[in-house]
Amino acid sequence: MPETVRHYLDVIAVLAQKDFKLRYRNSVLGFLWSLLNPLAYMVILTLVFSFLLRVGIPNFPAWLLVGLLVWRFFDVGTTQGLMVIVSNPALVTKVYLPRHIIVLSNSAANLLGASLEFVALLPLLVLLGVNLTAYVLILPVILISEFLIIFGLSLSLSALNVRYRDFYQLWEIALQLGFFLSPIFYDVSLIPERFRSLYSLNPVAALIESTRSMFLGHELPSLSTTVVVTASVAICLVTGLFVFRRLEARFAEEL
Amino acid sequence: MPVISVEDVSKRFKIPHVRRATILDHLAGVLSVLDGRTYTYEEFWALREVSFKLEHGESLGIIGPNGSGKSTLLKLIAHVMRPDSGRIKVDGSTAAVLELGIGFHDDLTVKENAVVYGVIMGLPRSEMRKRTDSILDFAGLTRFQDAKLKSLSSGMVVRLAFSIAIQTEADIFLVDEALAVGDMEFRQKCLDKFREFENIGKSIVLVSHSMDLVKSFCEKTLYLVNGEPRAFGPSAEVTRRYIDDMSGLVSIKQS
Repeated sequence: MPETVRHYLDVIAVLAQKDFKLRYRNSVLGFLWSLLNPLAYMVILTLVFSFLLRVGIPNFPAWLLVGLLVWRFFDVGTTQGLMVIVSNPALVTKVYLPRHIIVLSNSAANLLGASLEFVALLPLLVLLGVNLTAYVLILPVILISEFLIIFGLSLSLSALNVRYRDFYQLWEIALQLGFFLSPIFYDVSLIPERFRSLYSLNPVAALIESTRSMFLGHELPSLSTTVVVTASVAICLVTGLFVFRRLEARFAEEL
Repeated sequence: MPVISVEDVSKRFKIPHVRRATILDHLAGVLSVLDGRTYTYEEFWALREVSFKLEHGESLGIIGPNGSGKSTLLKLIAHVMRPDSGRIKVDGSTAAVLELGIGFHDDLTVKENAVVYGVIMGLPRSEMRKRTDSILDFAGLTRFQDAKLKSLSSGMVVRLAFSIAIQTEADIFLVDEALAVGDMEFRQKCLDKFREFENIGKSIVLVSHSMDLVKSFCEKTLYLVNGEPRAFGPSAEVTRRYIDDMSGLVSIKQS
């Protein structure tokens, strides 16, 4: 039915636009906050790690910034995704829409936000001494993979959060843990050898590694990270759709 | 084929005595089963074996006292909720005006909100952009198109929402008491619009406490009491029965 498909695509576009606009409404600096946040982290962590702890990573600020941007997309994307059903009850209880598209449009708004952050901070990366090469063209592929992982996780999380409101708190803790379990401010080589294969199953770690190899290593993402990312996309989407479908039927009664 | 056919539809709500909203509540629930207490809930039949058929070109009024299942039936027809048993078939597209202004946000402008709501209600985005001006004109809000929604009065918000809702090009309109909005002039404009729909063969399903409204717009009326159909048939007869029942109740109380 092309008519309904057209309708759903329009709804996705409109809701994504709305989420994106609202993120920056009512603040003087608007989109600038999206850039200031990772920049502030970059400055703080650079001060701590390169001056106080003397980590020997070349071009540490740029290296850090890339990791922070990838992490931030994941952090903001899943946190918002988790809340999206609970905070839009009317879209579930007062009108019939396939409920996936409410989650999808939020993840899409975050993909747009993250892409703009990368684009806006590209000049800074150059300023920090990064040579942009043709490998930068892989960035959209990485961002879209991350978007699909976020979408899949948001499907599960948003549906579970309707049933158990604890998931917000749980996920907040999980994200804090995730920040330290991802190679944002340290190199993977710091992880003891025997834990490393387990560690590298973390999809965010794989995404960060891929983005760094593209910007700083001037090479294609390694085979192992590509496998981890691809598998994560598949697993997150399949479980997300399954969990969401199971729980969706009762949404209207539980909201 | 009838435009709406409802066969033996029942809808049951389980209302737990203690609402378990968190995982801990559920654990506590499981533990309490172990020491002899069981998970208890109140079973509540919002609808029980409701059947009726509405032919093309006919409109339906749904009447009954508060808590008789009128809104639940409307939600089932709108596909927002699913019945526990029975079947509902709808031949044509529906526009559910169960609540006005779904997706409205205080921080978006009047114009932006109009597009969001219109698209949710099923209008194409391109069409919505073209029609915004005439919608705002109908609502009498042209002057405020770039104002944030929160600066409008509640009456203005409802007028805006209603003006958009009636633009929807659906075959069947599901309306829940939403007519009780705005001043007399605006109300009349809306009623005229409904008359227009009926004249081109569209169906309206109207949940209302106003017998006059039901009689003047709907050929058929369904009268529900405690989720069970008390009467279905020509509006004049069914509304008279309802009024008789109600006045009977009133005189019993008085004597």
